[in-house]
Amino acid sequence: MAKQTFHGRPILPGKVEGSATVSRIGLNTLSTYKPVMFAGVTDKAICSDGDNKDLYGKDITGAILCLPQTIGSTTGGFVLMGVAKLGLAPRAMLFANHADSLATGGLLMADIWMDKRIITIDLLGQDFLDAVNTGDPISVHEDGTVEIG
Amino acid sequence: MTINTASILTGDEKFDKHLEIGPDPHGAMCTGTGHSRAHVKHDPAAPAHKMKLTKEEQDIMAGKKGDVLAKVMKTVVQYGEVFGADKLVDLGGNPHTVLMFGNDSVAPIIDIFNQCADAGLKAYAPYTLDPRPNDLYNLETTPEMQYKIQQCYNLQDEIEKVHLRLGAKNMNYWSCTCYWPEVGNAPKQGTYLAWSESSAVNYSNSVLGSRSNRNSGGLEMLCNILGKAPNFGLMTDEGRKAKWLIEVTTTDEPQWSVLGGAIGMKVMEDVPFVAGIDRYLGQVDNLSCGKLKDMGAATATNGAVGLYHVENITPDAIDQGRNLLVKGYQTYVIDDAEIDRVRKAYPNLWSKTDAKPTRVFVGCPHNSFHQLYDWGMKVTHALANRGQAKVAIPLHLFCSPLVFDHFLDEHSELVRDLKRVGVNFTNTCPLTFAGIPGITETEFFITNSNKTREYTNARFLNDGALLETVLTGEMPADADL
Repeated sequence: MAKQTFHGRPILPGKVEGSATVSRIGLNTLSTYKPVMFAGVTDKAICSDGDNKDLYGKDITGAILCLPQTIGSTTGGFVLMGVAKLGLAPRAMLFANHADSLATGGLLMADIWMDKRIITIDLLGQDFLDAVNTGDPISVHEDGTVEIG
Repeated sequence: MTINTASILTGDEKFDKHLEIGPDPHGAMCTGTGHSRAHVKHDPAAPAHKMKLTKEEQDIMAGKKGDVLAKVMKTVVQYGEVFGADKLVDLGGNPHTVLMFGNDSVAPIIDIFNQCADAGLKAYAPYTLDPRPNDLYNLETTPEMQYKIQQCYNLQDEIEKVHLRLGAKNMNYWSCTCYWPEVGNAPKQGTYLAWSESSAVNYSNSVLGSRSNRNSGGLEMLCNILGKAPNFGLMTDEGRKAKWLIEVTTTDEPQWSVLGGAIGMKVMEDVPFVAGIDRYLGQVDNLSCGKLKDMGAATATNGAVGLYHVENITPDAIDQGRNLLVKGYQTYVIDDAEIDRVRKAYPNLWSKTDAKPTRVFVGCPHNSFHQLYDWGMKVTHALANRGQAKVAIPLHLFCSPLVFDHFLDEHSELVRDLKRVGVNFTNTCPLTFAGIPGITETEFFITNSNKTREYTNARFLNDGALLETVLTGEMPADADL
């Protein structure tokens, strides 16, 4: 596939390569990680949000998540910190939209207080989300550049 | 992978999706701060946005007042820069936080708070919290339910202890409606705050004229420990301008929480200027403040509104009138038909859709003194008119202990009568009570709160239908009207 390049704002910069995991709808953080946060599952992060047809049932441990933004409970930020503590967090969260306050708060606190960086880039635009598909090769660079393909 | 169904989940997605504390059925996307930034685009050529910090703030960031306070400063500054803040502003009044429940999901936050407390840090002023998530005494819970509650909030002691170390007021002051006179956390107009609890932010900003963004839980406490918050959004004159004119033309006084829900779903996190309801409110007084609380909480949960203006009523609107409307504002007319349309769209999320109701929730956010009196009189008069001794299903009136004490002091015989007929008073939260594992399989809640409807699987009824159901235990035929 032809390589496509997008430029976003690096909130928590970093470099990572792998394959993309895409959520077309807002990622409901608590719904996604319920088994990890509440049911004692500590070895995998299986998405438990039945409303998210893209991710439901998939292990998203260490994923390079491509998403519009996160939605849902105000616990969302803490949940990201909790999965980071267990080593089950995504490696990167790539937001098409402006990052929301819940995710931003949790991601910053995980980085500053727990030394657990989840690479965070926002404002990649809807074109980015339209272009990327689960399984696509994806490269994330320090300056917020994201390459697909 | 095994799911421990003895823990919080039933293991059945159909039920579990309704067990969360604060799910978002609409899947609405916004920044959540109460200030839309949909217009912001990234320019790779532009330098990264930086806040302007004073020398003292830079020194704190550099660790001259300790490593922990440096982390607090770094977190608050980075957060502010994400949302375009220009500087930090000093906070006033007293803080309020939503972070009242202790379970595994908040363990990392408890760790951070303990680091702050261990370093001798406290909030800049004594603060109030949302209500405790459980009430093991007043809600007619079975031993099995109480066991599940204890499991569900397994870190409750830990979060309460660290709050008390950080400067929380005693637990009588723990209420989502911290601004009622009995609780007393009512900031003056123009006070900068870093509050969380969407309904409290919404009420304080709108009815009292304070200036707080809708803050992410945890971040607000770091701001309160610092005594400063990033200046953006609803803290600025520009951010308090209204992008929507809401023209309410209903022929009668609307159900306030339905009206608020309609506004929230339309404007999402923009600021609305509401016209046409001053005729039902008159002024901000003991009666109208309950209506404004219920309307505002619904705008904050059906949407993400952190501030609204009401023509001729709220302080910014009194000061500036329609000059608060931005150029090119949009208009949304809410008439009787629109209220009906919105109301009829509320889903029935009960696990057995034709079940009989088992409990009635009134007071989300917590009732005011006047609302307790109003419901007390309605219920006792209706029972007397029917010659009926008891309510058919338990009615739970949620309120602060301080508001209840006031009510007991002024109307002790009414309180006695209400308890005798089966009405309970509780200082907990209906959302967290409805979050007890598996409870949605056997309990079927009804409420007049749009916030409770939005965040649990409770069914919504207008006040009249709710009262009828309290008396009969049967859902009215026109329950969804």
